[in-house]
Amino acid sequence: MILVTGGAGFLGKEVVRLLVSQYQQSIRCLVRPGTSDSVFKDLFGGELPGSIEIFPASFNDLESLRKAIQGVDIVLHLAASLTGSVPAQISNTVVGSENLFNVCVEEKVSRLVLCSSFGVIGASQISRNGLIDEFTPMEEHPEFRDPYSFTKHMQEQLAWQFYHEKQLPIVVVRPGVVFGPPVDILSSRVGLSLFGMFLHIGGGNLIPLTYKTNCADLIIKAGLVSDIEGEIFCAVDDDLPSSSYLLSRYKKEVKRIMSIRIPYILLRQLAKLNVWYSVKTQGHLPTVFTPYKVDAMWKGHRFSNKKAKELLCWHPIVSMRESLGKTLGHEAQS
Amino acid sequence: MKIAIIGCGQIADAHIQEVSKIANAKVLAVCDSNRFMAKQAALRFAIPGCYTDVRTMLVEVKPDVVHITTPPASHLSLAKICMENGAHVFIEKPFTLNLPEAEELIDFAKKKGCLVCAGHNYTFDPAYQRLLDMHNEGKLGEVTHIDAAMGYNLKGPFGSIFMGDPRHWLHRLPGGVAQNNISHPISLILGLMPAGNVLVKALGFRVRGERYNDARDAFFDEVRAVLVAGHVTANLVFSCRSRPVQTFVHAYGARCAAIACLESRTVRITQGVRMPGPFGKVQWAAQDAKEAGREFFRNFKKILGARLHYFAGMESLIRQFYAAIEGKQEMPIPMTEALRVTSVMDAIINECKANDDKGCFRGGV
Repeated sequence: MILVTGGAGFLGKEVVRLLVSQYQQSIRCLVRPGTSDSVFKDLFGGELPGSIEIFPASFNDLESLRKAIQGVDIVLHLAASLTGSVPAQISNTVVGSENLFNVCVEEKVSRLVLCSSFGVIGASQISRNGLIDEFTPMEEHPEFRDPYSFTKHMQEQLAWQFYHEKQLPIVVVRPGVVFGPPVDILSSRVGLSLFGMFLHIGGGNLIPLTYKTNCADLIIKAGLVSDIEGEIFCAVDDDLPSSSYLLSRYKKEVKRIMSIRIPYILLRQLAKLNVWYSVKTQGHLPTVFTPYKVDAMWKGHRFSNKKAKELLCWHPIVSMRESLGKTLGHEAQS
Repeated sequence: MKIAIIGCGQIADAHIQEVSKIANAKVLAVCDSNRFMAKQAALRFAIPGCYTDVRTMLVEVKPDVVHITTPPASHLSLAKICMENGAHVFIEKPFTLNLPEAEELIDFAKKKGCLVCAGHNYTFDPAYQRLLDMHNEGKLGEVTHIDAAMGYNLKGPFGSIFMGDPRHWLHRLPGGVAQNNISHPISLILGLMPAGNVLVKALGFRVRGERYNDARDAFFDEVRAVLVAGHVTANLVFSCRSRPVQTFVHAYGARCAAIACLESRTVRITQGVRMPGPFGKVQWAAQDAKEAGREFFRNFKKILGARLHYFAGMESLIRQFYAAIEGKQEMPIPMTEALRVTSVMDAIINECKANDDKGCFRGGV
C-alpha cells in the first residue's frame, strides 16, 4: 500500500493518476478533513477506482496519522503549503511533517519519498552558467529567500535529521518548476506581472521545467526502486527551453502581452535599491527582491537530470515539445 | 529595554517588526512550544534567544516586557508567569477568553506592580486618532450614534489556516472567529462612547452553510450588535461575506458626521449643505469630492515620505506602552478599558448564543 499526501494538489493528482492507471498500485490518499472526493473522481472519469482509499486526517492529529499509516509500505509526501506567511507555512509544512515522520518511524515504513524543491538548493553560490545538480550544497541562508523556499529548506533538513538519527528510510526529490495545464507557464523565473506590464527577468536563462506527468513518474520511481535510501534526485526534463523562448511562444500562442526586458545586472541593482529602501524606511515596502534571491533565481544556471536517469531508469514520458504544446494550448483556450 | 515574544505565529512577525522601530527596545528572545516556530522567527529576524520553555526564557533573558501572541486560552496563565518573573506584559487581542479571566489578570498585575497592555491597536491607527481628535475638540458636536464595521476573509492568510483544520485553536473559542476579531470594532466604538455600563443586544448567523460536519461549521460568520451607553447608540457589524474587506467607524455628531476608514487610512467629514433643492445635491457631491481629494493628496504625500506603514497603530501603541513603563506618560490603554471591552465582547457572544436558534439565515443560503 502506498500513502500519498497532498494528493489533491496540482502535482499530487498526477501522482495519484499515474499510480493507479500506469502502475496499478493500491493507494491511500491522505487529505484534509472536508476535502471532497470529487477531486479524485474527476481524474478517473467520474468514478473512484476501488484501488483508491480517501483518508481524511489532519497532520496535527497523531492518532489519525497512525491509522492512516497502518498497512502502508511507502509514503509519497507531497503535502505542503505553497503560499501564505512564513509562520503559516512552517506550521503546515514543517510541524505537520515532523508528526508524519515520527509516525513513519514508529510504524517502520520501508520508504518515505519527500517532495522537496529546487528552492532548497544553494544556487546563489553557484557561478553564472554553473551546473545545478544533486551535489550542489543546500542553501546557506534560506532566511534570505522566499517563504516557500525557507519552509521547504527547514522541512528537508528535518527529513535528513530523521534519516540520520532515527533511520527513517528517505529519498528526496527536488522538482524544478512543475508545469502543465492549468498552471501558467510564465513562472516567476520567467518574470512578473506588474501594473499591467510583464517584467521579463529570465532573459536567456534556461528554465528548469518538469512536466507534471514526468515529475510524478520520477517521484513514484523514487518510491519503488530499491536500495536508494538517502539519495537526492533533481527533477527536470530534457531539452529545457530558455525564458525568452517561453515568453515568445506565449505571446504567439496564448495572448499578446506588453513586456519589458530587465537584464540581470539591472535587476541586481534594483534589488539592492529595494533592500536599501526597505531598511531606510523601516519596512515601508517589503524586500521582494534581494541580491541573494536574484542570484539564486535569475543568475543563469544549467541543470542536470543525469542521476535520475542512471539510478531510477527514469526518462521523461512526455517530451518538452509535446508538454509545452499541451500547456500553451490549454492556456490559449482558457 | 529587553523585549521577549511568546508565541511565534503570524502576528508575532508584526510585533517583532514594530518593536524593531523603537530606538531603546530590542527583541532578545522568542519562545514557542514548537521548536520550529521559535526557530523560524529567530532565524528570520536575527534574534539571539530561541526557546521552547517560557520559564527558562524568563530566567535566562530577564525581559522587561513580554509580548504574548499565543492563542487566547493561554493568555492568562502565561501573563501570570511573566509577571511573577517581573516582566510587564503586552497581550495580543482578544485579551482573555472572558471577563472573569480578564479581572483575574488585572488584579494579579496590580498585586505584582506590573503593567498590562491589551493589543487594541486599531484605536491607535492614525485615521481613528484623527477622528478621536475631532471628537475631543468638539468638531462633531455631541456624538449621537456610531457605526463600526469589520470585514473578514475566511479564505485569507489566517482564515485559510483555521478553515483547513477543525482542530485549530480558534474553533475552541466560545465565539469562534468573531471572538478573535470583534475586540477591534468594540474598542473603536467604546473610544467614542461615554463611560459607564453598556447595554448590548446581538444576533449571530452562520451564513456560509454547513459543509464539513465538524467545528468549522459551528462558528458565527456574521454578527450584528447594538450597543447603548448613556445617550449614545452604536451598531457593530462583523461580516465574513461583505466585500471589500474593510474596517471603518462612522461617528454621527450633533454638528456633523465623520467616517474613519482604517483600510484606506482616510477620514472624510460630512457637513451637510446650504444650497436649495437640486443645487444642494451638487454641493453635497462637491463636498464629498473635496474630502476624497484632500485624503488622496494626504496619502500621496505620505507614501512619498514612506509614512504609510500597515501596522502604524500597533507601533504607536507599543511605543506609548513602553513610555508608560518608563514613567514618561499614562498607560495608552487603561487596564480598566481592557475589562470594558472584554465585558462587551462577552455580552455579544452570550447574546448570539442565546439567539442562536432564531438566526434567520440558519441552514445557509
